[in-house]
Amino acid sequence: MPSPVNQFETLRGVLASTFETRPEAISPSTTQEDVEGWDSIGHINLMLALEESFGVILDVDEMLELTSVAAILGLLDRLGTA
Amino acid sequence: LTPTRLENALAAPSRQAIRRALSPRSVALALGDIQQISARLRQLDSPLGPLKVGVIRSFTTEPLRPYWYFEALLAGFDLELHEAPYGSTILQAAPDSDLARFAPDCTFVFLLWEDLDPGFGTVITAAGASERDAIVKGAVERTTAWLDDLRGVLAGTIVVALLPPMTPPELGLHEPMSAQPEGEVRRRVRDGLTTHFRDRLPDTHLCDLDDAVATCGRNEFFDPRLWYSTRFPFGVHGAQEVVRRFMAYPLVALRSTVKCIVLDGDNTLWGGVLGEDGPEGVSLGPDYPGSVYTAFQRRLAAFRERGILLALCTRNDPGDVERLLQRHPHAVLRPEHFAAVSAGWGSKPEGVTTIARDLNIGLDAVVYVDDSPQECHEVELSLPQVEVVATPTRLVDLPACLDDLPRLEVLTLTDEDRRRQELYAQERVRRNSVREGGSAAKHLAGLDMRMTIAIDERAAAGRVAQLTQRTNQFNLTTRRYSENEILALVDDDAVLVAHCSLRDIFGDSGIVGVAIVRCEAGGVAEFDTFLLSCRVIGRMAETAFLAGVLDRLAARDVTRVRGRYLPTAKNHLVEDFWTRHGFADVDDTTAETALPASLPVLAPIGVEFADAIARESV
Repeated sequence: MPSPVNQFETLRGVLASTFETRPEAISPSTTQEDVEGWDSIGHINLMLALEESFGVILDVDEMLELTSVAAILGLLDRLGTA
Repeated sequence: LTPTRLENALAAPSRQAIRRALSPRSVALALGDIQQISARLRQLDSPLGPLKVGVIRSFTTEPLRPYWYFEALLAGFDLELHEAPYGSTILQAAPDSDLARFAPDCTFVFLLWEDLDPGFGTVITAAGASERDAIVKGAVERTTAWLDDLRGVLAGTIVVALLPPMTPPELGLHEPMSAQPEGEVRRRVRDGLTTHFRDRLPDTHLCDLDDAVATCGRNEFFDPRLWYSTRFPFGVHGAQEVVRRFMAYPLVALRSTVKCIVLDGDNTLWGGVLGEDGPEGVSLGPDYPGSVYTAFQRRLAAFRERGILLALCTRNDPGDVERLLQRHPHAVLRPEHFAAVSAGWGSKPEGVTTIARDLNIGLDAVVYVDDSPQECHEVELSLPQVEVVATPTRLVDLPACLDDLPRLEVLTLTDEDRRRQELYAQERVRRNSVREGGSAAKHLAGLDMRMTIAIDERAAAGRVAQLTQRTNQFNLTTRRYSENEILALVDDDAVLVAHCSLRDIFGDSGIVGVAIVRCEAGGVAEFDTFLLSCRVIGRMAETAFLAGVLDRLAARDVTRVRGRYLPTAKNHLVEDFWTRHGFADVDDTTAETALPASLPVLAPIGVEFADAIARESV
C-alpha cells in the first residue's frame, strides 16, 4: 500500500505524463486551471489514467468533481487506496 | 496490461521488434503504456514519412489523440492530425473548408446512425414496412449526396465509420427470429452506401465497426460514463481497436503491400518435425494439437482470397514435403496452394531470397512466419526488408497470429487479385516450358502472344492505380497513384493513360503494363510512368507496349518524346530501357527520341488497340 506521500508522487507522475509536463510543475495545490492541456478533453484522459494507475473505477459524478490535486487525493483516500 | 509486453516493447531495438513485442494486439494496452511506447517510438526515425490525417465527426473524438499518434508511430508515419470542429460535418464538404485546405492523405468520417436519418433516433421496430423503406432511402440518399460533395473536395482516401448501437437489440433475444429485425434496416443502409462507394466513389471505404465491437465485446468497446457526460463513446479497449483498424487504411493505400506469406514448416504449418515423425506422423487434424495447425492452414488459405501468395520454406527433404502436402488426410494446404516451395538444407534467408526471386517480388513484399526465435532472428538480421512474425507463445493463438498485421489488409480486390494464384500457376508451367523448349526466342514465338492496349479507360483505373503502387522492379519512375488520381489523369486531355494486357496459349495475363504520357506544347511528350508487372518480365512485352504507345503518340502529332529513369534500390533492371529502345541520352535521368520512331528491337507479339476492336465490332 502506498503511503500518502507516495500517493502524491504517483499522482504527480500520472498528471505529468497525461499532460506532458514536468512533475515538478505539479504541487498539492494544483488545480485544473493551473495546467495547460487539462481541459474537458484532457480531463477524460486523466480520469482513464487514474483508473489505470490506482486500480479504481470512478463514476460520472466523481469524474466531474476531480478538478484539483486535492480533490483527487481526497477521493483516493475515501476509496481506501492509500 | 502485462508488464512483460510493455518492458519487451521498451527494450526492443527496432520498430518491427516493438510491433512483435506488442502482439497480440487484440489484448488492449493501458493508456499509460501507450504513452511510454510512443515516447520510445519517437526516438526512431519515421521510414514512411509524413501522413496527414483528417477527422470529421459528429461526436467527441479528441481523447483518441494519443492512440492516433501511437498507431501512426508504430506503423512508421510522422502524423499530422486535423480534427474538423465537432458538429461541422456537413460544412466540411465545401470546397473552401478547413479540411479541404489541409488536404489530408486520409480522412476518417465518424457518424452516428441518427445523423443518416432521424428515423434511427426513434424505435426502429415500431416502424412499419413503408416507414422502414423511407428511412433506408432517406439515409442512403442524404449520406451519398454529402459524400459525393466531400469526395469532390478531398483527394485522399476516405474512410466512413458508423458508430454501432450502444445497446442490445430492441427486441432482445427475439431479434434473430423476428420477421422485421432491427438489424435488417441497418444492413440495407450499409448495402446502399457500399454499392454507391464501389460504383461511384473511388478510394472511399466503409469501415466495419460492428466487427470491432465483436473483438472487444460491447461493454469493453463503449464507456457509457464518458458517452453520457462528454459524448465520447469509446472505452480504452474500443478506442485503440478503432484507431488500430483505421490506421491500416493509409498504410495499405499509400505503401506497397505484402504479396507473399512465406511459412516455415515444422511446428508452424504442422505440428512436430517432418524428418522425425514422417509425412503421416505430423500433427494435423481434429485432435489437439493438430486441430490448431489445421485451423491455421484454413486461415492461411483465406489469405489467398485477398490475392496474397503463400510459399513454404522448410528445412526438410523435398520428397517428404511433397508427400505430406499431397497425402496427409488433414492438410488443408495442398501443393497447388503454394506459389513456391523451398525445401532443402540451405539457410532460411537463402530460402526466402530464392522464393522472392522465383516469384519476381521484392523482399519488402514478404512476410515470414516461423516458430523458431533463432530462425526469425537470422532472417531479420540478413533480410531487414522482410517483416518477420514469430508464432505466439500460446499455441492456441497461432491461427490468429497474422490477423494483427495491417499490411495484410486489402482495400480493393480486382479480378486480377482473385486470379493471381492461377496466373502464377500458369507462369510456373511457362517457366518449365522455357527450360524444356530450347532457345528463348523460339519459345517466345511459340507462345503466340497477343497484346491489347487500351487508352484512357476509366473502368481500369483501380487496377492501373494498383500497378503503380505495387510495381517496383520494372518501373522507370516509381510514381505511385491512387485510383482517384488516375481517374483525374484519364480525364485530362493532355495526358494519355495507356494499359496493356497479354494473352498467350497458356491464358490471359490481365492488365500487366501501364504507361502515362504527358503531352506538352510544340509536339513534345514525356513518359511520366512506364511500368510492367513482374508477371510478364522476360517476354518482350515492354517492347511491344512501348511501340504501341509511340504509334499512338505519333498519330496525335507528337514529334519528340522524352523518357526518364529515376533510379531506386529496386529498378536497376530497367536502367538501360530507353537506350535499348533507341532513345538518346540527354542527361543522367533523361533520354529522348523523335517520332515516328522505328525501334531497334522487335517483339514477337501481335498488338491491337481496344478502342479499334470496339469500333470494328460496331
